[in-house]
Amino acid sequence: MNSSTSSSETDLGWGRSLLACLGALAGAALLVLALMVVVDPYDSGKLGLLGIDGVDNRLTQITAASRARNPDFNAAIFGNSTAQMIKPAELSAATGLRFVQLYMTGANAREQLAVLDFYLRNHAKVGALVFSADPGWCVHARPKEAGVPFPYWLYDKSVLTYAVRSISWQALEQVFQRISIGLGRRPRMNPDGFVSYEDIWPPGQFKEIGWPRDPAPAISAEMRATFPEIAALGSVVSRLPTDVPVVIVVPPTFADTVPKPGTETARERQACDAALKAVVAGRSRSNFISYRVDNELTRDRASFADFIHYRPVLARKIEQGIIASLQDGERAKIDF
Amino acid sequence: MLFNDYPFLLVFLPAALLIYRLADSYPAARIGVQVALSLAFYAWGSPSFIVLLVASIAINWLASVVYGRVKWRMLLTLVIVLDLAVLALFKYANFLLANLGLVLGTTLPSLDIGLPLGISFFTFHHIMYLADLKRGRAPLYTLDRYALYIVFFPQAIAGPLARWSEVMHQFGKQVYVPGWQRTFCIAICFIAFGLFEKVVIADSIAHLLDPIYAQAISGPLPAGDAWLAFCFSFQILFDFSGYSDIAIGLGLLFGVQLPYNFNAPLRSTNIQDFWQRWHITLMLFLRDYVFYPLVNMRLLPRRLLPLQFFGAMLVTMALCGLWHGASWTFVLWGVLHGLAQVACSLWRRYGPRFPAWLGWALTVLFVLATGVIFRAGSVEAAWHIFSELISPLPLERGKHLWPLIAAPLFAFLLPASQDIVAMLTRRPNPWLAGLLGLGLFALLLHMGGRDLHEFVYFKF
Repeated sequence: MNSSTSSSETDLGWGRSLLACLGALAGAALLVLALMVVVDPYDSGKLGLLGIDGVDNRLTQITAASRARNPDFNAAIFGNSTAQMIKPAELSAATGLRFVQLYMTGANAREQLAVLDFYLRNHAKVGALVFSADPGWCVHARPKEAGVPFPYWLYDKSVLTYAVRSISWQALEQVFQRISIGLGRRPRMNPDGFVSYEDIWPPGQFKEIGWPRDPAPAISAEMRATFPEIAALGSVVSRLPTDVPVVIVVPPTFADTVPKPGTETARERQACDAALKAVVAGRSRSNFISYRVDNELTRDRASFADFIHYRPVLARKIEQGIIASLQDGERAKIDF
Repeated sequence: MLFNDYPFLLVFLPAALLIYRLADSYPAARIGVQVALSLAFYAWGSPSFIVLLVASIAINWLASVVYGRVKWRMLLTLVIVLDLAVLALFKYANFLLANLGLVLGTTLPSLDIGLPLGISFFTFHHIMYLADLKRGRAPLYTLDRYALYIVFFPQAIAGPLARWSEVMHQFGKQVYVPGWQRTFCIAICFIAFGLFEKVVIADSIAHLLDPIYAQAISGPLPAGDAWLAFCFSFQILFDFSGYSDIAIGLGLLFGVQLPYNFNAPLRSTNIQDFWQRWHITLMLFLRDYVFYPLVNMRLLPRRLLPLQFFGAMLVTMALCGLWHGASWTFVLWGVLHGLAQVACSLWRRYGPRFPAWLGWALTVLFVLATGVIFRAGSVEAAWHIFSELISPLPLERGKHLWPLIAAPLFAFLLPASQDIVAMLTRRPNPWLAGLLGLGLFALLLHMGGRDLHEFVYFKF
């Protein structure tokens, strides 16, 4: 064998190796992409040919998409874990609407707005909207995104981004879970989305954690009146038909954390409450209720799991307030 | 744009390869196309600073051309000073203002300026060329070739710091010549290996350590966390070594062999050996353009030359520290490494011989300990970590600590990545190549579900 033959054979061998490498890469990618297109890993409605309903995952940032597009529900509760204990079934039974819980653990206002947008795109007719507005809504400037990135790609309109972002181990795991759900071998999550955190924080315990993150005081009067997240919510709400009731509640926190009257924090809180109230002002059967007050209930540690996460005893009160508001609007009698 | 993100791997890189494949048949177009691709890459990541980069290329190249005609050495000195001044403005102005304020007992206003991507690296590339031109060692180059030397996208942001003499002659060569398939297989191996180091090892460690270091700024750490924080050097090793391997692989895809940057540094048996294996191209730069000139200056009488030698060693390492960031903590880190090198140098000359294992253990401990100072950002934060090292190892966390078990094993037992790649690509093996392709896809899946971590060296 002369050297040129040897060289060309080697080149052929390397050519085959390169082809094998790129072929395996492309083949695996196409296979996974095909699975994603057929199954729709997060039940977002952007892909999916099999028509499997529901997901099974504890990551609420991911599972909210499946619930938010569920046509069985015509009303929704938005918020983070401070909205989690509100039972959609209780609201549904009392109002005749069909409520779904769209809380997402640790979600900030911008992330909740992304889910709201997704929800509205998937529901031509909306029965009612309920928001649990924690102090994150009161920021005077949109904070820089920090921590684990929120999957905006799941809630935006782009199918391409969604398909590309679905190339992940997590999505692959979801695919197999959804196939199991489709085959009836695995139950889907509770469709209305209610999960009590008392599973992990049993009654009778109070952890001294989770002090409310009230925003830093504004440095000027002009800034104090600026609430970009509330303005964004107001913009969405103003585009809704006037007969869609909207209820905004400020969730209760342990009494020690309620801003003391006359302090800078209390003035900030008042300004934020006024901005939130303005969002629902003039709408029928709509209301703003602040449960962040210092009273006997919020002074009782048994009412809380920590400084911001309340127990069912308060959740029932909040549900009653929401129900009353959906019936009587701002005239509703709030017992708290 | 990051090498470990989808926009680069799924959009820019395939598009760049396709465009360059078309240009490869036209010798006159090759360099121009690579410059255009590199500028596009830079503009994608740092659009506001593209003008600075282009101006920097134009000024330095023009200076070299004028020098070629008038042979006025002062011109090159002035341009080097200008390059350093621009670097100082963007990177050290606020540091200087803060320290000047301390000296004057007042608070001076800080400048609201960002750090242009890769400014340290392209400044050093300019300096290497102009210094060698001044010494009569470098020829003049055309604008497109010089521009490619500065902006060649695989190395523009964080190195390796390739010397002009290592890469200039490679620019513009035809890539798709007999044997290109082997080069591509090697390149893909480097890229896969680099991505593994970055997204699997370094990012997993970062996931564990970032919150700990954030906590260390405000106060003492929970028991056991300090031991995890102590392992930061493994993170930066795999982060930067991974970046360098990806850069080398990308370079090969465009016909350029970039210099190796790491050579299994945590297998070193003394600190001098370590600095010949860690960020090799930066250390060669500092050796040739800082240390040697300092040693060769006639500053002290002949009998005090050893003092000047060790002083130069300290100054070089202090500057190395300062290069990493505008903070006294980085300077302290550099000085500590300088002192260790002086001690090592003296010990090797006058001290008894160390067993290799003891030298290795001391070197690793020193690198890990100084790594804490490097990462902590302040002496107080570093102290919060050191003071908690008396608490027991957090073994109860079990499997969650896998990155901090795998990383030392890889760092201590495996040879350098270039040696592993050489071993894997000794002869063609389609089965192995198929596995490599699947491995690459597994890495893509891994990247898809995780939050993106910037390469640590981007901020330097």
